[in-house]
Amino acid sequence: MNLVQRAVALLAVVASVCLTYAPAAAPVAVSPRQPALEAPPSSYRPLPRVDTLVTGATILDGVGGRIEHGDVLMHDGRIIAVGHALPREGAVVVDASGRWVTPGIIDVHTHYGTYLLPQSAAEASVSDVLEESDPNVADTWIEHAVRPEDPAFSRALTSGVTTLQILPGSSALFGGRTVIIKPIPAVTVDQMRFPGARQGLKMACGTNPASSFGSRGRFPNSRQGEIAGVRGAFLEAERYRKEWDAYRAGRRADAPKRDLKLDTLSAALRGELPVHLHCYRADDIANWISTLEEFGVHLTAVHHAVEAYKIAPLLAQKHVCAAVWPDWWGFKREAEDGIPENAAFIEAAGGCVVMHSDIPLLGSLLNIEAAKAAAAGRRAGLAIPEERAIRWITSNAAKVLGLESQIGHLAPGMNADLVVWSGNPFSIYSKADLVFIDGAVAYDRHGPSSQRPSDFELGRPQKEAVR
Amino acid sequence: MTRRLAPLLLLASSVHADPIAITGAEVWTNTADAPVRNATVVISGGRIVSIQPALSPPPSARVIDAAGRVVTPPLDAAATQIGLVEVASASDTDDRAVHSGPLGAAFDVSLGVDANHLTVEQARVAGVARALVFPDPAGNGVFAGWAARLNLAERTDIVERARVALFVTAGGAGAHVAGGSRAAIWGQVHNALSEARSARASSPFKPRDQLLNHADLEAITPVLEKRVPLAVVAQREADIRQAVAAGKDFGISVVIVGGAEAWRAATLLVSRHVPVILDPLDDLPVSYDSVGARRDNARILADAGVTIGFMVSGQGIYLNYNVGQALREGAGIAVANGLPYGQALRAITQNAARIWGDAAPAGTLAPGAAADLVVWDGDPLEPTTAPVAIFLNGTEISLRSRQTLLRDRYRPASEEGRSAPAGR
Repeated sequence: MNLVQRAVALLAVVASVCLTYAPAAAPVAVSPRQPALEAPPSSYRPLPRVDTLVTGATILDGVGGRIEHGDVLMHDGRIIAVGHALPREGAVVVDASGRWVTPGIIDVHTHYGTYLLPQSAAEASVSDVLEESDPNVADTWIEHAVRPEDPAFSRALTSGVTTLQILPGSSALFGGRTVIIKPIPAVTVDQMRFPGARQGLKMACGTNPASSFGSRGRFPNSRQGEIAGVRGAFLEAERYRKEWDAYRAGRRADAPKRDLKLDTLSAALRGELPVHLHCYRADDIANWISTLEEFGVHLTAVHHAVEAYKIAPLLAQKHVCAAVWPDWWGFKREAEDGIPENAAFIEAAGGCVVMHSDIPLLGSLLNIEAAKAAAAGRRAGLAIPEERAIRWITSNAAKVLGLESQIGHLAPGMNADLVVWSGNPFSIYSKADLVFIDGAVAYDRHGPSSQRPSDFELGRPQKEAVR
Repeated sequence: MTRRLAPLLLLASSVHADPIAITGAEVWTNTADAPVRNATVVISGGRIVSIQPALSPPPSARVIDAAGRVVTPPLDAAATQIGLVEVASASDTDDRAVHSGPLGAAFDVSLGVDANHLTVEQARVAGVARALVFPDPAGNGVFAGWAARLNLAERTDIVERARVALFVTAGGAGAHVAGGSRAAIWGQVHNALSEARSARASSPFKPRDQLLNHADLEAITPVLEKRVPLAVVAQREADIRQAVAAGKDFGISVVIVGGAEAWRAATLLVSRHVPVILDPLDDLPVSYDSVGARRDNARILADAGVTIGFMVSGQGIYLNYNVGQALREGAGIAVANGLPYGQALRAITQNAARIWGDAAPAGTLAPGAAADLVVWDGDPLEPTTAPVAIFLNGTEISLRSRQTLLRDRYRPASEEGRSAPAGR
């Protein structure tokens, strides 16, 4: 338990925030040595698939719509129709009468593959969750540490998760780049990478960076030091960006010296890397939004954000999403004021709220996490029907990842990522029966592959029946 | 639900507004496997007078319409740490474990329990009436120390019974304090029990070369005399089997806490009458001790006849925070994975009192029993459900907490909420 608690400290105790991503307007200039900003290539291939018609379900479309006894038609990995009495020709029919269908769940905050299960004493001193040697490790890419055989991936999939983001931990001001993947069986992270998905930049405010570095006699050891550190780094990145802009525009002959940290920070300045900020307190969140604004950087999402409800109108006004737990509070001073109505109050202010997991256990319960948060809101007098609450783990999460045009919404043209639930997904008794990713059955609770163990779990006597 | 007025008055009141009739509810009494539907529960003098279907309430009764609602005994958290820690990251507010000094088995967490902790208040308004609080692994020996039973119907003297069970942490989590091997834990446990047995046999006690100091020696005696159990925190099958063997060899009672792989030893556990307090949410190999974790652990153990109670850890968070809701969520998951509903309910309302040997086990709704009950706004095993009324000793308690006050201060429609600072 001590080990695990220490490990949790690495994760939640250091939070991350994300910013909404604005597509870069500028065309990419041709230059062999400019900072690499494009999404790295993916070797993901969809699993074998056939055209499928899911019929007779209660459909929550992910953006607030609800259809009773509805059908969803998938063709060649895309959704091509959502409605009633859709044509069956050429499609495998899944009778979902009495069942519910939602978009695939999207988890914007995990440490899968780096907070590798099982955790052991070996991870207490050396962990891949974060490179902790410097408060600015913007040059690190978390994908370089991800082990696809982490059992957490398969648990997420069997719980309805079809897309997830892996972020660095939260002890550094600039924690490095994130990666967005699909939790399918794979051997390399490239095979899981969501094609075309942008990386993000993980940042962290508050207690974690200050305590992590301050306790080692290093900078920063205070909140004000953190902000000073961020401002200083972005000033440097601005200078770097201008040098590259001048070079690209032909105003200087020699290419600037390449710097991996400044590559990442200047990409954030250009709006090419969505910014995700770990931050708990309302005062901290407001300060960091201002600090980022000073450099024209928009915060995509603030993660953990247990006090977001205190500044819900500000978050809505600034278009900053909040990725939260429904009920975690108290385990650290920054979390003392957490309340179960946090998500609902953000929603009520017109803000963008998302449920996130941070730990593998919660990543297998995101539908229940959303259920709890919505129920607390209803009890506080707010109208949050299921078709709205589902947005917190689908379309709102897609927006955080900059993928809202592809996932999180059941509509023609969208990726065919969806879950057939045994019942109301907000009931503790319901289970994901079928999980489709890009139109392929990635998980079938009643199928032969439903118990596919990870490589780690394969052949372990503890997993087998008692003889 | 109408908002209750002057909750502080209710809190302070020791006068029962008698009689009270709760009508129209689905009542789970824990005396049968099915609920009493459309029941009227009559409370008077702090006790339950009757539970009858479709009974008209007594004319003088205060009537609580509970149509469509569910009534159960209050929650009993079989293993938590409420009242022992305020802010887990602030060590001066954390009294869960002894890290150094002379106390080993003699460490008694009841002496550090604070009835004013927000974790206690939150558990109470979530429908938790009783709880066991247990120590975390020690930094100076294999024994974590003594657990205590809490009664949250009280406001100050919430420790109902101290020294309820002696905790030892087995497996990888405890190995380092034993010298670096789980085998050394068992070596030290065996030795401690042997030394306590020798001390008891020789009167007057003749000191010899021994590892235990007198405080630890005396602390172990009640375990040896089978007055209280040895609670072994163990996940791995091998450690669970070692715990059962120690129980047999020394003739002591053993309770397994954690038990991620207990399903693999179900036959042995039932034959030795060893109960298991497990986490129904476990299904990941979070450590090398719990590679065999699975969500139907509860179902397999219960089918075999093992007495089970639930604890929900949430990687440590839920042992202190959101204890009530987490327990219900865990029980719901157990039902979703095959455990009969009534057994899941008992695992969070009744079994802890049996496992920890309460003199007058609570957790049953029946005429003559103390009027401890919760009225839920739906199925209590759905975590979306919440209490609408809680009666402890026949008195309705306030559901106000620091969290509800924060909620009301920042509620979107409230004046305070509107004027709340919006940063800049």
